[in-house]
Amino acid sequence: MENKIRVLRAEKGMTQEDLAEKAGVTRQTIIAIEKGKYVPSLELAFKICKVFNKKIEEVFNY
Amino acid sequence: MSYKTFKWVRIFMAMFIAATVSIAVTIENAYLALAAVIVGMISMLLIKRNVKEVLVDEMVKSIAGKSALMAYSITVPVLALLSLVFMFSNLKERGSDMYNLGIILSYIALAQMFIYSFFYYYYQRKYGRDGE
Repeated sequence: MENKIRVLRAEKGMTQEDLAEKAGVTRQTIIAIEKGKYVPSLELAFKICKVFNKKIEEVFNY
Repeated sequence: MSYKTFKWVRIFMAMFIAATVSIAVTIENAYLALAAVIVGMISMLLIKRNVKEVLVDEMVKSIAGKSALMAYSITVPVLALLSLVFMFSNLKERGSDMYNLGIILSYIALAQMFIYSFFYYYYQRKYGRDGE
């Protein structure tokens, strides 16, 4: 599973810590998702998409 | 309180408990050891409440679950094997310390299996094993 979180975060000028806080997870989880080492649950994926105001297919690719 | 501060406080508390328990063992005072552990546990609970950042999320829980399964998969067979070795190597001396140790280890392995089965069944029911 690939994702564009790093790009979207950079576009918004958001740090990993900011995103973690808004998604309600730890910074380590955001780092792992960005690196593709951890596949988030559907709930967390939707939360991340909501932060960026994007559809799930615009953030995650399978 | 930030997560960084919490990490330092956690290390300090662990050191405090370790030092107090060591002193308690040296002066042979079980109450002091017990008090240190209880004070440490209560303090950690109170401190955790003041941490504003997220400490546990789905990835942490996932890692914890995998670690727990791995720990279970290793400890139960090892305990069972050790208990068999202790019991069968001391069959002629039933009631000896080593034989009793084997029995104790086998009961610990059984208790772990029971706890694991109980929670496995509980979570299976919680998440609907029949697909209902």
